[in-house]
Formats: sequence, C-alpha cells, structure tokens
Amino acid sequence: MDLLLKYLSLEDPNVRYVVIAIVLLGGMSGTVGSFNFLRKKTLVGETVAHSMLPGVLIAFLLSGVKNPAVMILGAAISGWMSIWVVDYITQQSKIKGDSALAIVLSSFFGLGIVLLTMIQSRYTGNQSGLDHYIFGNAAAMTPEDSVAFAIVSLVVLGLIIASYWSIKAIIFNPDYAQSIGISRRKTDTLISIITILTISVGIKAVGIVMMSALLIIPPTAARFWTDRLIPMLVISGIFGSLGGWIGAFVSYSQTNMPTGPWTIVSVSIIAFISMLFAPKKGIVYQRWNKLQLRRRINEENLLKAAVQSEVRGKGKLFTRATINERQFFESKLWNRTIGRLTNKGFVRKVHGGYTLSSSGRNYGADIDRRHKIWEVYLQRRMQMSVHLVHDEAETMEHFLTPEIEGEILRELGLCSRFNPLLEIHEIIPDPDLA
Amino acid sequence: MDAVWIIITGFLVASSTGMLGNLLLLRKMSMMGDALSHAVLPGIVIAYLISGSRASLPLLLGAIIMGVLTTFLIQFFSSKGKMQGDAAMGTIFTFLFAVGVILVTKFAGQADIDADCVLHGELAFVPLQQSTYLGFSAPNAVWTLAALFIFIQGVFWAGYKGWILTSFNPEYAKSVGIRTALWHYALMAATSVATVVSFESVGAILVIAFLVVPAATAYLLTKDLRWMVALIILQGLLSSVGGYFLSDFLEASISGSMAVVSFILFAAAFLLKKKEG
Repeated sequence: MDLLLKYLSLEDPNVRYVVIAIVLLGGMSGTVGSFNFLRKKTLVGETVAHSMLPGVLIAFLLSGVKNPAVMILGAAISGWMSIWVVDYITQQSKIKGDSALAIVLSSFFGLGIVLLTMIQSRYTGNQSGLDHYIFGNAAAMTPEDSVAFAIVSLVVLGLIIASYWSIKAIIFNPDYAQSIGISRRKTDTLISIITILTISVGIKAVGIVMMSALLIIPPTAARFWTDRLIPMLVISGIFGSLGGWIGAFVSYSQTNMPTGPWTIVSVSIIAFISMLFAPKKGIVYQRWNKLQLRRRINEENLLKAAVQSEVRGKGKLFTRATINERQFFESKLWNRTIGRLTNKGFVRKVHGGYTLSSSGRNYGADIDRRHKIWEVYLQRRMQMSVHLVHDEAETMEHFLTPEIEGEILRELGLCSRFNPLLEIHEIIPDPDLA
Repeated sequence: MDAVWIIITGFLVASSTGMLGNLLLLRKMSMMGDALSHAVLPGIVIAYLISGSRASLPLLLGAIIMGVLTTFLIQFFSSKGKMQGDAAMGTIFTFLFAVGVILVTKFAGQADIDADCVLHGELAFVPLQQSTYLGFSAPNAVWTLAALFIFIQGVFWAGYKGWILTSFNPEYAKSVGIRTALWHYALMAATSVATVVSFESVGAILVIAFLVVPAATAYLLTKDLRWMVALIILQGLLSSVGGYFLSDFLEASISGSMAVVSFILFAAAFLLKKKEG
C-alpha cells in the first residue's frame, strides 16, 4: 500500500519520468491507433515500426553519432518510405494490403539486419546501444524523453483537432467526403504523419512490438464500448494511458520486471475484459441477450399452442402431450418453460395438467393473431406463395410490435384487430388471396 | 561446401514456407508469419522451463503448440468475440510476445535463454552441427528442413484443392458440405509447424519474408497453380543463392541478405508487370 502511495505521489524522480512518459505515449498511441483501426489497417503500425530499423542505422552511418534527434529523423524517413511502398504496391498491382504489409515489413527489416551486421563487423566501440532504438529500453527514459513525448502528443493532438472533420468524413464515408471536396490523399497523408510521429518517438522507449501493440490493442478494446468516433478516441487514449500506468507500477513494485511488456499485458487484459463484459457488445451480454430471446420465443410458442388447442375445442386443460401435437417440446425444455410461465402467472397448474390464465390467453392470442396477420400480409403484399408464408410467420410473430401490427392492418384495409377473418387459422389457402 | 549447405537450407525454407504462403496470400493472411514469429515466444520459454534444457526438440514442440494455440485464439477472438480480424491477430500476438518477454526476464537469472535462442537463428551456423544418416553426412538443419519440405509437399498436394476452394468461395464450399473451419485449422497448423521449424535455422525475419515474398512474386506473374509453385521454388532458389553472395560481399547477415534479394526479385516482377499493364 505504501508502495502504491509512493508510486502515486511520483516523488521518486526516476519513476516520475518513466510514468509521465509511458502514460503520454500510451494515450497518444491509443488515440492515433484508432484511426488506423477504423480504416482496417490495424497492422500498419507493425510494419512501420519494423521498417524504421534501416532508417535508424543509415542515420547513424551518415552522421556517425548516436544523436537521438538524428536517429528519430532517420526512423521517420524510413517509416514514411515503408508506408509509401505499401500504398504503391497495393495501388499498382493485384497484391492485397496484408501481403504488401508483410512484404515491406520483412524486406525493410531484413535490410536493417544487413546494415546492423555490416556496422557490427566494421565499427567497434560506439555502435553499442543501437539496438535500443529497435528493441526499446524503458528503464533508461530521461526527462528529455518525457518532454519529447509531451511535445509530440501536443502536435498530434493539434493535428487531429485541426482536421477532425475531414478525417472523420474520410474514415466513414470516403466517397461522399471526396464529392464534397475533401482530399483523400491529404487525409491519408495526415494519418500517416501522426502514426509515424508517434512510432518514431515511442520506439526507443518500448521497442517495435510494444509500440505496435500500443497502436493496436487500445482501439480494439475501446471499440467494444462505443460506436462513436470521439468517445472511441478518448476511451482508446485512456486505455493506452491506463495500461502504461499499470505497467510502470508493476515494473516499479516488482524487481526485474520490464515496463514495456507489462504495459502490453495490462492493455491486453483491458481488451479481454472489454470483449467479455462490455455492455451491448461483450460476449457475456450477447449470450445473455440471446438466452432471453430464446426463452421468450419458447414461452410464446407454448402459449400460442395452448390458445390454439383451446380454440379448436380441445378443452381448457392442456399437457405436454396435447401441446406437442402442435408444437414439440422436449421434456426438459417443457419443464423449464412451463415453470417460468407459471411463475409469471400466464399458466395455472391444475389437476391433470395446466390451464391458461386470462393474461396468458390474451398473450397467446396476440401471438397467434400476429402470425396470421403476417401470413396475410406476405400473401397480399409480397405475393408470396401460400406454402412459404407459415414458416416466415413463425419467426415474425415474436417480433411484431403493436405499432407495426396496426400499420399492417391499415395497409391491408382491415380496420380492427379482432377481424373475424383473423380468428380462423385456416384462412389459408383462401382463393381470394392466392 | 559450407556455402552449398547454407544455400540449400535457405532454399528448403523458401520452398516449404512459400507453398503455404501462396495459400495464405489467397486468404489475406500474409501477416500470419509475423504474428507467429512473435506469438510462439512464451511456448519456447515454457518448454524450456519444463524440460530444463536447450535441446531443440522440446523447444520446437513448445513453439508448435503455441503456434497452433495462437491461430485458435485469433479465430476465437474474431468469430466469437467479434473483434475486427486484423485487430484480433495484432492483439493476440503482441500480448503473447509480451508474456514471453516477461517470462524471459523473470527467469533470466536461472536460465540462459533469450529471444535469440530459437527465433533468431543464423544461417552462418548451419554447417557447424552435422550428422550422418544413410551413409550421407549433412548439417542437422538440412536433414530437418528436408523432412519439412517433403511433409509440406505432401500436405500441399493432398490438400490444395480443398484450400483453393475454401479460399476463393467459402460460401459455396460450406453449402456443398465442406468443413471450411477444418481446412482453416489444417492450414494454420501446417503454417505453425513450417515457420517454427524454420525459425530455428534461418531466423524469424527470413521466414516472414519467404512466407510472403516468393508467393507474391509468383502471384504477380502467373495465374496457373503449377506455374505458381514452380516460380515460388525458383524465386526461393535465386534468393538463397543471391543472398548468400550478397552477404559474402557485404560481410553481413545471410538471412537479412536473402530477404533483401527476395524483395529485389519481387520488385523486378512488379515493375515488369507494371510496364506491361
């Protein structure tokens, strides 16, 4: 607990810089990654990050010093080239985006390995630490890194705000956007610029894979929570920062635990939790929803069958055997469904079977009527064959609302819900309708 | 002789992975090589911790199991979890890689294992360990990769019809009762085996390259499957030979050089096609 408080207060200067830097980086990557995610180019970051290796090394070869600014410039240039080559390949040949990404990733990185081994076989001494630009070294983050991240975050944020509308239009409706004069090329370039800026400053701190993970995972997680762009950008940024913050804490509180990988594990766990438990889109919610729907359909089918057998003069008493003549219920399903209906008061248990309560009878009759209305509608308005309408209506009867029902009746020219026409199931086939 | 063994090794990897890469290309799954190369790391570390040795067989098994598991997870996340396909892949492999790095750091004290151990194999070391079978002496890597080559040839020719059908027309395949999921997993399992076995001898980057670049080159030049396979094998051979001499000239990594030469061949095919079209 003390540890957590000490961590929260940021009093230890070493911790302070690492935490500020990683939180900034996480937030920035999460936001920027959302754009690539929404354009279904999620793995672009992976290719760009790998492709920066040759640029870093060429910058070192040309300048002969390990000046961070020069290295970052080299990284940005070769990252830029990689995006350009990917686009060029996909536009000028039948090679698809994913293959182009893999081709560019492997060849740029391969070139980087060639350069790295050339440098290692020729130079001695001052080339060590070059691989930090690629594999990351979060522990060595300096105050300057935090400042650099802060500046780049502001620049990126400014660019996003300044061109928010054109980015939004291009992402969601490129054809419309172009028709009102938004340049797709300019917007694509802008997204590439912010992606490259983010990766080139972040890569030295967390390495290639961690950098691309920070661009991929927070948007993936955020997508489960919202359908709107601004909330998505904000949530994704928060997830990225939160992951960085937790990662830095694990690294701080345990010995020998790296910040970068723990950041990734933290955001991944956030993503897994989102996938399972997010409202509306989470697996648990969807399963629950499906189960509820299945239950409702079974209940409605049972009530409808009971009403039908009553109408046919089979008496008010029904059992599984009599219902099964119209609608088959396997015994376990029967027990569960009838149990729920009894609890809800739609059905009463009596000696030798069950009877409908008045609310149950009304409910069942509603379903039965909707079934018939839909059958009539399909025949008259959709010109569907008599033989097909029943199956369609079996599904639709559970989804027609009273409002739609009214609309359909009006459309069919039947004024009342209690039209005698609809009281007889054997309305079909009616020579008048067929 | 060392040169010949190195070139043969490169060639065997190129033709094994290239054949599968061809199918991955059709299914828009070319980044799978990159994903697997990162995702198998925890499998390797766990296999090492359980077996307590750096012998390659247990590590290989660990990596293969992890590779197959990765493909299952990606499929699960995208179909059941409704994640966007490429995002599911990106999330899984970076997560597993991070877990692998954490395990490596955690146990680094008691074990001399690092990511280089299996993933960053170096072709220059291939001729060092040799064994004799059937009165014929060859490097261990060549024996293993020759077995892999035969295995992949068998798998490819036995299954290509199913894979092509399920790649081009999954809906139709499903409607005539072909189990598309089964074919998918079979391809993924074969890819995991081929990539992991190859990582050890040539390193991850060359495997990623050979999985996509020769197939893409052939895909640009022809539509006929037999020609495509022939071109993939030819491109692999040229990349291996060219890459070896380039590395010799530059005194640089052989794997990296082969990847670069492979890309140059791709670029040549690309420009040729562009001029024509």
